[in-house]
This record gives sequence, structure tokens and C-alpha cells, in this order.
Amino acid sequence: MASQNFSAGSGSERLAIDGHQDRHALDQLFSITYEELRRLASTVRRGDPSATLNPTALVNEVWLKLSHSGPPVASSQLHFKRIAARAMRQLLVEAARRRGANKRGGVAAYTPVTLDETIMAAATQQDVLALDRALEELARLHPRQALMVESRFFGGLDIPETAALLDISEATVLRDWRAAKAWLARELKREH
Amino acid sequence: MDRAHWDLIQELFHRAADLPRDQQISFLQAACNNDESLLNDVFALLEEDSQQNSLLDRNLAQVAQHVVGGSFSGSPPEAFGPYRIKRIIGEGGMGLVYLAEREDLGTEVAIKILRDAWLSPSRRERFASEQRTLAPLNHPFIARLYDADSLSDGTPWFAMEYVEGVPLTEYCKAHNLSISDRLKLFCSVCEAVKFAHSHAVIHRDLKPSNILVKSDGTVRLLDFGIARQLETLSGPTSQANLDHTMTGLRLMTPAYASPEQAKGARVGIQTDVYSLGVILYELLTDRLPFDLSNLTPAEAVSVIETQDPAKPSLSARSALSDGVQARVFDSPEWADLDVLCLTAMHKDMSRRYASVEALTRDVNHFLDDEPLEAHADTVRYRVGKFVRRNRQPVIAASIVLAAIVGLTIFFTARLAIARNAALAEAARTQRIQRFTLNLFQGGDEAAGPADDLKVVALLDRGVQEAKALDADPEMQAQLYQTLGSVYHKMGKFEQADSLLHLALERHKQLHGPDHADVAEDLVAIGLLRSDQAELEESERLVRQGLEMSKKHLPANHPTVARATSALGLVLENRGNYEQALQVLSEAARLESAPGGDAADLAATLTELANCHFYAGDYEAADALNRRVLEMDRQLYGPGHPHIADDLINLGAIQSQWEHYKEAEVFNRQALDITQAWYGKDNPETASAATILGRTLINLGRLDEAESLLQQALSVQEHFYGKVHPRVASALSDLGKVALQRGKLEEARADFTRMEEIYREVYGEKHYLIGVALSNLGTVELEEKQYPRAETVLREAVNKFTEALSPTHFNTGVARIKLGRALLRQRRYSDAEAESLAGYKVLSSQSNPSNLWLNYAREDLAAIYSGLGQPDKARQFQTELTASAKK
Repeated sequence: MASQNFSAGSGSERLAIDGHQDRHALDQLFSITYEELRRLASTVRRGDPSATLNPTALVNEVWLKLSHSGPPVASSQLHFKRIAARAMRQLLVEAARRRGANKRGGVAAYTPVTLDETIMAAATQQDVLALDRALEELARLHPRQALMVESRFFGGLDIPETAALLDISEATVLRDWRAAKAWLARELKREH
Repeated sequence: MDRAHWDLIQELFHRAADLPRDQQISFLQAACNNDESLLNDVFALLEEDSQQNSLLDRNLAQVAQHVVGGSFSGSPPEAFGPYRIKRIIGEGGMGLVYLAEREDLGTEVAIKILRDAWLSPSRRERFASEQRTLAPLNHPFIARLYDADSLSDGTPWFAMEYVEGVPLTEYCKAHNLSISDRLKLFCSVCEAVKFAHSHAVIHRDLKPSNILVKSDGTVRLLDFGIARQLETLSGPTSQANLDHTMTGLRLMTPAYASPEQAKGARVGIQTDVYSLGVILYELLTDRLPFDLSNLTPAEAVSVIETQDPAKPSLSARSALSDGVQARVFDSPEWADLDVLCLTAMHKDMSRRYASVEALTRDVNHFLDDEPLEAHADTVRYRVGKFVRRNRQPVIAASIVLAAIVGLTIFFTARLAIARNAALAEAARTQRIQRFTLNLFQGGDEAAGPADDLKVVALLDRGVQEAKALDADPEMQAQLYQTLGSVYHKMGKFEQADSLLHLALERHKQLHGPDHADVAEDLVAIGLLRSDQAELEESERLVRQGLEMSKKHLPANHPTVARATSALGLVLENRGNYEQALQVLSEAARLESAPGGDAADLAATLTELANCHFYAGDYEAADALNRRVLEMDRQLYGPGHPHIADDLINLGAIQSQWEHYKEAEVFNRQALDITQAWYGKDNPETASAATILGRTLINLGRLDEAESLLQQALSVQEHFYGKVHPRVASALSDLGKVALQRGKLEEARADFTRMEEIYREVYGEKHYLIGVALSNLGTVELEEKQYPRAETVLREAVNKFTEALSPTHFNTGVARIKLGRALLRQRRYSDAEAESLAGYKVLSSQSNPSNLWLNYAREDLAAIYSGLGQPDKARQFQTELTASAKK
């Protein structure tokens, strides 16, 4: 199974998931993922009631767009979702890092409107960075769990898909998810 | 913590988690066996598990909103260049659009920024290409680009015309316009689209909301955001990807999308014709041809691909019954409108109007009560048929348009770069511009070799077409001339030569040997000869053409001005700067007069600047080049290769002044522009890299320089073969790197090849041979081969004196070197003459601490010691010490 080839875990590892990945395909994956993310973010902001987009839909959307184009970025849809989850994680972490850096450097291009929003945004950015670090720690302890969290949270994989990806039973997914989530939540709190 | 400990924690966590809350503690106390820390760890997890309020319990959408989203109506960080932000007016996947004001001028502009530019090169490239697409689209009905730059954090932005207006359809409804007024407005939309097509830009997203009507009743075409995709080219595969990914319905408004867009197939100018057809339909009937409102995307695609729309006449009638304002048109007129609209909207793109021009012609036929062309046989989509049917004189371009478009209609995006280059070069006259456009509308579906070869294939096909036009020798001759000039610009001198001679023969047969058209051919052949380094022949032909033009055309005719400028260029190439200056000034005078062509003027001024430069008047050259840079930015936009050329010229002047840091800035800007326009492995990009390499040598950054130059050399050799001035130019600089590294044999080999190339290409008299010799002289001096150094340097001095002037910088440097070769042979008197002459030349035009001046001072001090004149020796020694201190 394709997933066996992946080096699970480490968040600082760039998207070098398959050695022979076409760099351009990954670049496109990043671009499209980003644009979908932005679309997702703006539907939430507008409070659009018809906004049904969730990570699952988003990743499917990206898959659809990419699957029609040129050299395949992944050998299967599941394989792709795994890569997309990693892309999403890297994207959000990088964006959070840059937003944070911008604030310090005073070259912030964008300022939220209200104080509430500012605080929320800053807290979320901190959380994303903390989650990234905690996932790295988890990857050290239990690589499969880290991969699972990444796939489920950032890639929107559902339970059966996660089970198939990791080659474990659905019950194990549920158990692992519950424990890992609790552990990560605690790590996030510690960082505050 | 380690894996074993984590497994233990989990084990206890799972067992406790299923217990009622009040039993958890006692269970854990028993299980943990007084291990407080283990108990606390597990308990903390249970706490978290019961709360479910961490980041992981939130929706990714909310997370994304706070991380990549956020609200953007707050105050932006800095002004964008001279523009002060007023508010946000739009937001899309790529970035934001602000309304801003240019404070010094009080004008309002729209500023588009790319958000999160760091994210990926392809996004930056797509953003940049929208800007590139817009840059040349300087048309009153197209919202135009003003300015582009990036913020200090790297966020790129560009400023464009801010249009306050109403969407086309709303405007027509609100003003209750008549059918004929609507058609007139529609024609001005067509004009804008046609203009974009003539710059090889397909809009691909035409719809009323992208076409605003201002309060003064003029239209503005907006949003080339999808059009830009065609411009994007970072490699054949990526282009294919982008095109397929981006052209799908997702990015389009389905109601205006053509069947080929719905399918995700290749698009062409007929794609815009289709969307214009839908817009026309809506303008005529106040309805859309298809109601897609309640359909899924897949259903919409199927409707667009398979369903025929109701005839506009029927649709209008039913709209009328719905209470829409009655418009009285009797049935023959509606029949015409039906044909017009449905021809534009034909599902088969080859059977639509072949161009926006053809569509406009039929709209005008309708307005003038003339029969429609579309009636004859739907669209005349077969070349042969069309040419056979149309014996009447139609302007050359429109036939070629139909001919080439008719053959194949797919606009191949892969051609973008080659097309840009050819367009830029060929856009000098409207005819050529049009022609090239037509050429590139013909596309080649099969994957082929390098892009430029495909252009050549298209040109070759154009020649076949031209040859088939025996029935219209006038048009044929014009085509030959145009094609010949395009081949010339592309460096295919042989083909250019034979076509230009065909044009000349035809014109002579038609009009006799003394005619304005013959004159144009002579000038064209003359310019070709100049690039073939047959300078004498070149001057003779251009002079003959110029005289003939003057005889048949008014003195202020653009053709006369162009021929005058051509003569100036030829004189310049011959090194006859004094005369060239006079002739070019005359050309500039003609072109500055009312009705003169601004692009021609900019080109002439550039040559004037070059003459001043070669003649050593850097101040004058600098002033002219700066003026041309401004003109070109206006004419072509900031990312055009002409801008790169101007920057290179400005850099060369800085180098002459030894301001290498400034030169580096100009050179890098030029390289960026060139690379963005032509791509990486392109001879133009290689030339720009060579120039930067040269500056880096002067800055002592040899490693950087060498890798740039090696790369440039191999690209140039690949494109132009081993014997070409461009190859020589790269060799010259590689030789200098070798020289500075003390690799004398390498340097000698490079300079010798350089000398041979120049002799072969330019004959014996060109000053560039002197440059090669002067470089070789340095190698000989380094090797202490003084008699050999003397020989080559003497020849260098002679070449410079003849081809440039006795007081030229290069002449001065060569004499200083020659002086040294003589000094080392202890021939003090001979050495004195050369060193002193060189010293005088340079001290009148260089900075006193110039390297060569110091060499001269050092040598002169030694020479006068040798001559037994210690006072003079001391004088130069003192100067040298003073200069060295600086």
C-alpha cells in the first residue's frame, strides 16, 4: 500500500513525500489548496448559510481539479488525500508563522477589523503553531497516531478512509484518535 | 516521555474513559499504584476528553479563516508607491483589490495585490502574467495598467484604471436603449476585444459584469484574470496543467461559457466570439440563451454542449409577452439578427465568425441595411472557398485572417513566448501586427519541437498561403514583404532574403521600378544586409529606398521617417556616428511632428543614444536613454523587452562611469524582465545574463559571473551556432574571468575565438575586432610576450581610431596598453608617445582614479625615469600616489 512509503510525522519535513514527485505538481497542489482554503475561509466569514464546505469537500475539490491535469501528483485518491493533508498542514503552519512574523516586523499587510477578531486570529495562529510542534512530538512517540491526526484534521479523511490509509481497523482509529486528541489538547494548553 | 510510557497512559486512559466520572479517580488511584505523575497525566487527558474544546474540535474552516483569512477592511500597511489606499473593493482567490488615490495627481486607481505571494511560484507567475497581459493593452475601452511594484515584504501589486460604471446589460435596460443603440455599444465592446486579440490575448471570461459602461456612455473591458493563463508559461507541462485546470467551468460564469470551455478543450479567439454572441443575445432579447440556474455543473455542461438556443427572435417575442418593452422590428430584420447571433454562438468553433472583426463587420452590415456575410454559407470557414469567392479587393489582412484562422483555429498557449517575442518585434506597423496575430491564431495541435520552431512552421505555412494568392499579386507582394521582415526579425536571414526579393519583383512588375512600395522593399532588404554585416550594400540600398520614398510620398509620411531612421541605423552600424547623428536627428524630428509614430520615435531616439554612447558622449546618451525609458513604459508597459533594452543601455552608461553597483541594479532589472518575457533558456535572456555577468566581473564577483556566462554561452551557441556576435560577446566576458583568474591560455583561446567571429561576421573594419585584439593584448602582456603584445595592440589602436575615433575611450585604453608593451621592451620614446596619448584621452573623460589612468601614470613615471627626466617621473609618481590614496 502506498502509504507505507510515507515517512510519517515530522512537520518540519517539507513536502518531499515521494522522491519522484514533480515539483510543479506540488506547487500547483499548494496553490489550489490555498485558494480553496481562502474560499472556505471567506464563506465562513460571510456566514453564508449555503457554505457546506468542510475539509473533506475541500480536499475532494482540490483532487478533482488536479486529477484532470498533467502528471499525477498521487497514485490514488487516498494517496492524494494524504499528500493534500500534509500540504494543508504546511500551508496553515507557514501562514500562521508569517502572519505572526508580520506583526512583529510591522510589515503586516492585513489587519483584522475588530479587537475580538484580532485576539481570536492571534490565538488560532498560536494554536496552529503549537499543534504543529505537538504533532512532531507525537510523531516521535507514535508515528501512526501523528499521521492519523494530520490526515483527519488537515485532510478531512473519514474513519473508514483513515483505517484504509493506515491499514488498521476502524475501532483502532477511534481509539487512537480519542487518545491522541486528548493528549494534543493538553499539549496545546501547556503552551499557553 | 517514551513510547512505552505513552502506551501505558493510553491503556489507562481508555479503561478509565468508559467508567462513570465518579469511579474514574478510584480506578486510577488503584491502577497507578501511587505513581502521582502517571495519575496526573492520565487524568489530564480525561479532562480534555470530556471538554472537547481544543483546536482539534474546531472546524478546519474556522481555523483557516483565522490563519489565511481574516478581515481585510482595516488599514493596509503602507501606501502602494505613490497611491494612498481608500478602501477595499474586491476580494478573490488570488488577492485583494483596493480603491486608491494617487495623491499628487488626484486620480483614482484600482490596486490589485497578490496575497501570500510566498506561497508558490505558480501563483506569483499567474499574478505577474495578468499584469503582463494587461501591459500592452493600451486601448480606450480597456481598463489599463498604470503601475506595478511590490511591497517591502514581497507582496506584488499593480495599479490599474478604476472604472466606475454599470454592467453592459443593466445599462441598456436602465436607459431603455433601442436595438441599434445596443448594437453600437456592442460594437465598441467588440473593438476592445479585437484589440486584445491583436495583442494575442484571449479574454476567456467575457460577460456583462466584466464590461462596464461609464456615465459618459463609453465601455470598459475589465478582468483579464483568466486571460492571463494563456500567458503563463513555465514549461510545456505546466502550461497544459494550468490550462486544463483553470479553463474549466469552475472559474467561468457558465452562462457565457463556450462549449469548448465547458468541455475543458482548447480555446481560441472564437471562444471570445462565442461569449460575445451570448452577450449579443442577451442585449437583443433581455434573456440568456440557456437557463442554467437550477442545474448542476454537469447538467449545465451538457446543455451548453448539446442544446441549441431558441432563436433570438422567438426569445424576444416571449420576453415581450412577459412585459418587456416592445421593439418594433419586422421579420427580415429579426431573421438577420438570428443569423448573426447564432453564427457567433455556433457550437462548432470553426463555423463561428472567424474573428471578432468578422462579427463586427456583420453587425455593421446589419446597421447599414446590407446583406450579411454570414448568410452566404453560414461562416466561410474554408479558406479555398473564401478566397475563390472573394475576388473583390478586400484588405490584405482580412483575407489572411480568414485564411489562416480557417486552417486551424486553436490558439496554442505553448506558443505564448515565441509569440510575444515575434509580436513585440513585428508590431511596428499595423499590418505586420495584424499579420502576426493571424499567424498565431493558426495553431498546431500536435506537440512539436521547441516553440520557436513552431513559429517558423507557422510562418512557413503563411508563405504557402501567400504563394497560393496568385490572383491578387498586390496582396501577395505585401505579404511577402511582411513575412520577409518577420523572418528577418527571427534571424532567419536566408528565408527573409528570398521573400523580400519576391516582394520586390512583384512590386516592380505591378508598379514599375520606381514606386513607394518598391522603396519599402529596398529599405527592408537594406536593413537585412546590415544584419548580415554587408554594410556597404546595406547603406546603398537604404539610401536608394529613402530617395525613392521621398520622391513619391509627402516629406512627413511615416514611411519616409522610417526609411530615414533606417539609414541612421545603417550609418551607426558602419561606425559613422557623426553622419548617423544627423540622419537620426532628422528622423526624430519627422517622428515628433504631429501624426508621427511614438513607437518609431522611441526606436529612433534609442539609436541616437547609442550613437552618442559609441562616440563617447555618455551624458547625452544617458539623458536620451532615460527619456526613451519613460516613453517605452508608456507605450509598452513595464514588463516589455523594450524596457529591458533601455535598462541595459542605462547600465552600460553607468559602467562607463565605473558606477558598477548602479549598473548591476539596471542589469538585474533587465534580466528579470527578459526572463519573465522570454523564459529561461532563451538567447535574449542569455544576452541579458551576459551583460549582468560583465558587471559582476567589474565588481570582482567572478564565480557568480562565470556561472552566468557559461550558461549564456551554451544557450547562444545552441541557438545561433558557433560563429555569431552573441557567442563572441559571451566569450569576451568569459575570457575576462579567465584573465582575472590568471588562466591565460583559456583567456587567449576565448579572445581569439572572439576575434575570429567578429572578423568573419563584420569584415575587417569593425571596432569590435579592436576590442578582441585589445583583450588579447592584455593576455600577451600578462605572459610577458611584449613584441606579440605590441603587434596586436597596434592593430587594436588602428581599428579603434578608424572605426571609433582617436579620442574614444577604447582608443585611449589600447594606447595605454601599447605604451606598456613598449616600455617593457625599454623603448622609452615610443612608449612615451602611446602612454601619454592614452593618458590624455582618458583624463579628459574619466574619473581621475580610473584604473587605466593609474596604469598610465605608473608607466609614465617609469618611462620618464628611463628617459632621464626625473621631474616628470616624479610628477606622475605623485599623481599616482594621490590617486591611489583615494
